[in-house]
Amino acid sequence: MTTMFTRNDKTSDPGAKAPEKTEPPAPVPVETKRLQASAQPMPYTGASQAVMASVISKALKITGQVESTEDIQLDGQIDGDVRGVSIKVGSNAKVKGSVYGETVELAGTIEGKIEAKKVVLTRSAHMSGDVIHQDITIESGAFIDGHCRPEFGKTENKNMPPVHKPVAVAREAAEKSSV
Amino acid sequence: MSASPRRPLIRTLPAADGAQLPVSLLGKAFTVRGTLDTDGEVHVYGNVLGRINADVLVVGYDGYVEGDVVVRDARIAGRLNGRLFAFNVTLDSSADITGRIFHHTAEVAKGARIEGRMPWRPLNYFQTLEQLPENRP
Repeated sequence: MTTMFTRNDKTSDPGAKAPEKTEPPAPVPVETKRLQASAQPMPYTGASQAVMASVISKALKITGQVESTEDIQLDGQIDGDVRGVSIKVGSNAKVKGSVYGETVELAGTIEGKIEAKKVVLTRSAHMSGDVIHQDITIESGAFIDGHCRPEFGKTENKNMPPVHKPVAVAREAAEKSSV
Repeated sequence: MSASPRRPLIRTLPAADGAQLPVSLLGKAFTVRGTLDTDGEVHVYGNVLGRINADVLVVGYDGYVEGDVVVRDARIAGRLNGRLFAFNVTLDSSADITGRIFHHTAEVAKGARIEGRMPWRPLNYFQTLEQLPENRP
């Protein structure tokens, strides 16, 4: 051990110049600050978090299919179908495609179809397409261009959100098999 | 896509108004098959199968992304299968990446798993990146 230490001391002597050499290059403080800021909500432990709703913010545009077995708050733009349980479409949101769920609350625009047990069209809603429902609320001011049919659940419902395996389960299985 | 082709895909500095943009959060049970396109921040705790264009991307422990990712800041604690084009990359210890990581600055925690190369690219590569290169093996 002592030899180790002495050797380390020796090597560190010529290395004393090293700090000059490795003087930090031009700093990029803005970048690192942003990184740390975004690091805040990060789950480091990997512990499963409480069930949280998904939020599609107004700046986000999704092209393609979206599905969830939890709540969805939509404020952005979606070109494609949405499948969920409780879906709230915000007043700035725009969906081009069908929306399937248990509850759909619309304050924005949908160009397509709504298929849900409970549908709420608020006063700012703009709905172009059919609404298939069991229970509907239409506030004064809502726009609908399409048919409203109380047929939800009466026909075979192949469009309802599929129950898919959460990734966490798949990951645990993968970890188990790799060990 | 809708963005004009002249615009570089990646900003190397945060947008002046970027901090005001709300964060999009894709929960655990959330799956997207398609493209995500935003100037703001996206946190993925669910599955994304497809491309992501964003300013900041955070992939949580349970998150899984399959496809090309083009962002300024990437912070990954979950799984990524695809190419990552990011000016700043941070990989947490639980990160599991298959594919190339094109980066300018990188931080990799002990325990992170990377299968593939991590090519460094100069600043102007990201500033002038308008179209992703061919994906060759």
